[in-house]
Amino acid sequence: MANRNGVLVLAKDIVKKFPGVVALKNVTFDIRKGEIHGLLGQNGAGKSTLVKVIYGIHKPDSGKIYVKGKEVRFNGPSDARRHGIVLVNQEITVVPNLTVMENVFLLGKMWKEKVFRKIDYEELREKTYKIISALGIDIEPSTKVKDLRAAEKMIVQISAALTMDAEIILLDEPTSPLPPEEVEKLFSVMRQLRDKGLGIVFITHRVKEALEICDRITVLRNGVKLGTLEGDDMNENKLVQLMLGVNPNEFYKVRSEATIRRPLLTEKPLLEIKNLSTTPLSSTDIPLKNINLRVYPTEIHAVVGLVGAGKSELGKTLIGLQPVTSGEIIIKGKKVNIKSPVDALKYGIYYLPEDRKTEGLIPNLHVIGNKTISSLKYFTKLLLINSKKEYDVAMQLAKKLNIVMPSPYEKVIKLSGGNQQKVLIARGLLAKPEILILDEPTVGIDIGAKVEIRKAIYELAHKEKITILLLTSDPDEALGLADTISVMRNGEIVANFINENLSREEVIKAMTG
Amino acid sequence: MNTKNNKNVTFLDKLITWIKTSDLAKPIIPVIGLYIIASLLAPQYFLSPYNQKIILMQVTPLLAIATGEMLIILMGSIDLTPGSSQGVTAMLAALVYITTGNFGLAILSAILLGMLIGSINGILVTKLKIFSFVATLAGLVIWRAVDLWISGGRLIYGLKPFGIFSEAIGVVPIGFIIMVLINIAVYLLLKHTAYGRYVYAIGGNEEAVRMAGVRVDLIKFISFMLAGLMYGIGGVMIIGMSGLAVDPWTAYGYELNAIATCVLGGILLIGGAGHPLGVIFGAFLLTLLMNLLVLLGLTQASIQQIVTGFVLIAAATTLARGLKYVK
Repeated sequence: MANRNGVLVLAKDIVKKFPGVVALKNVTFDIRKGEIHGLLGQNGAGKSTLVKVIYGIHKPDSGKIYVKGKEVRFNGPSDARRHGIVLVNQEITVVPNLTVMENVFLLGKMWKEKVFRKIDYEELREKTYKIISALGIDIEPSTKVKDLRAAEKMIVQISAALTMDAEIILLDEPTSPLPPEEVEKLFSVMRQLRDKGLGIVFITHRVKEALEICDRITVLRNGVKLGTLEGDDMNENKLVQLMLGVNPNEFYKVRSEATIRRPLLTEKPLLEIKNLSTTPLSSTDIPLKNINLRVYPTEIHAVVGLVGAGKSELGKTLIGLQPVTSGEIIIKGKKVNIKSPVDALKYGIYYLPEDRKTEGLIPNLHVIGNKTISSLKYFTKLLLINSKKEYDVAMQLAKKLNIVMPSPYEKVIKLSGGNQQKVLIARGLLAKPEILILDEPTVGIDIGAKVEIRKAIYELAHKEKITILLLTSDPDEALGLADTISVMRNGEIVANFINENLSREEVIKAMTG
Repeated sequence: MNTKNNKNVTFLDKLITWIKTSDLAKPIIPVIGLYIIASLLAPQYFLSPYNQKIILMQVTPLLAIATGEMLIILMGSIDLTPGSSQGVTAMLAALVYITTGNFGLAILSAILLGMLIGSINGILVTKLKIFSFVATLAGLVIWRAVDLWISGGRLIYGLKPFGIFSEAIGVVPIGFIIMVLINIAVYLLLKHTAYGRYVYAIGGNEEAVRMAGVRVDLIKFISFMLAGLMYGIGGVMIIGMSGLAVDPWTAYGYELNAIATCVLGGILLIGGAGHPLGVIFGAFLLTLLMNLLVLLGLTQASIQQIVTGFVLIAAATTLARGLKYVK
């Protein structure tokens, strides 16, 4: 502990490629003894990929990792653990029906010593209590984990890591499932660990949290490291600029100011949301608070906000997947009650989810089938699918959206991320919606495909006259595409702008509050 | 000479690609293999018209229930009622025939009862949101009990008209021809209708299909109902193929045969993959295997079951390649 600057882990020139996207481009990152090192960036910036490389889950395509000056090669997380590196996951990975001590026992290394020996619960309780109380936290080890608060569950995971003599703890978005009042509890534990000489990596997309607790902050964007700041360099303005980009790349801008669609005063909105509030089904979802929104026909209306602002929740509420507690959804002047995606489609609303893998793609189904799953009725006559018509339409769209695929009968999972996203956009189009809700349509996709997708979205609104509700965390995407921009923060709409002579700073200020 | 050689190579290449890529090749090749082995082991016996007809007669009722089970497994669910359904529908058909003497009415009642059983399964899964394994496990027990109850535990015989299904054209029983036709219809349903596309898609990623605005619960209900219909047909066929008599333990435990047939036929148990005609070859595989064991003089049920178990593991292993993990 003598040398506070002693580097525990150095990841040098790390490159990690996934099909169709380079997730990390020559990133160098180090963790010192006794520090909290923040890793800041938007969704898809490469934060999780970087810690997963350090933890041995992903093998880097090139680059080297050194632990205490010695080069290492990890074949899996167990190798990383042997070197004292532990990753605590974004999702809380505890077993809810077991007690705190049993979880610490299972997740930690204690069980390895005595797989077939009888568990001495007294001893286990004592050990667990010692670890947790040393963190300045009071949790009874025999409590069932399901009865704990979210922050306490996170602390149970950290305690388990400590039983493995961890020297480096990688925390992947630990605060995102936590309510604000519990964040401080986690922070106090992190400070305790730092003072004991551990190296902590704290992944977050929240600038303020990073500033509050970190000794150094590294910012990533689109897989590129933009710098590591420390001391006086760390200020909110600078971090936000780095995280969201200094100047919007001209590439991203797909339309000119002249084409902004300004709703007329007398015009009736296609979709109107009045005082809408929701109660989420799961604790990680953000409740919507008193949302008011007007979407006019054929406009691109962007709802922009950082991760956790409630954008996806808004989209899912509109297709009946989140229960509405109060407020109204009005389509073409008529109040509607949408209970399911089937209902939503009847009213002309179609939602393309952010999470392509679990909510969008049908991995083993071919590309054509993935495109037409929402629109089969247009291809069916007397029960039978007209495969020629289906093929023709699918190919036409593939050409229009420039979908690159070995064959239209290839399984969709074989395509790159950008092309998968285009397949989903084709699916949305074929469903012939009046309002197409696109949730983060360009996250996790390389720049070339991003631009193509944005151009396609622009044309949908301006040539095909489809109204677009664009949910995005990228202010440049909103500024480059939208006619109207609404900003969301903590489940509320905090600002509305017409995208004309609108400054980037204004939008970002509203986003970060 | 040269060109001829080239042609041979391309054909062979095509064959190899087909074997590598087709979902149907996996079950067909072992069927051919078993035919060759059995023919070599006991040519006069195995290849005799009588034995060939027996094989087809055994395949037929098995194929009926396996086809129904396939509709469920393709969606990533499971149905444990095929055995009990086959038993109770056979019993109902027998009782209706004995009481009324009306052969057509007997068949109709079996099929309707099958559809009723399937519909109940469908409602339990989609409306009450019970896991298909649990919902149909209850059905397995209940419908066998109903079978015992309506029959009073008796053996029902004298079901002569059902013999029509085992009448053969050459060595091919009429019942088998009917089943193949039904399977072709099911193939068309699964591969060329929107319903079929939904079934595969639900097995692939149910969450995504729901999000896409498809009436998933309706599709599931239809599948369970159609599966029940197939079990009813299976009930009728089993009377025709096994001695024109039914007792309350007919088709006892056959749900396992149905599931095994699907697995041997290349239907992936986690859903979403497998060729609809695969079950035909799966049914042949399971039946030939039993036939082969009989030819080898291994007639004890225990040995037959052990062998079936091992073959199932082997088949499942080839299917599971490339999966990250299964449950």
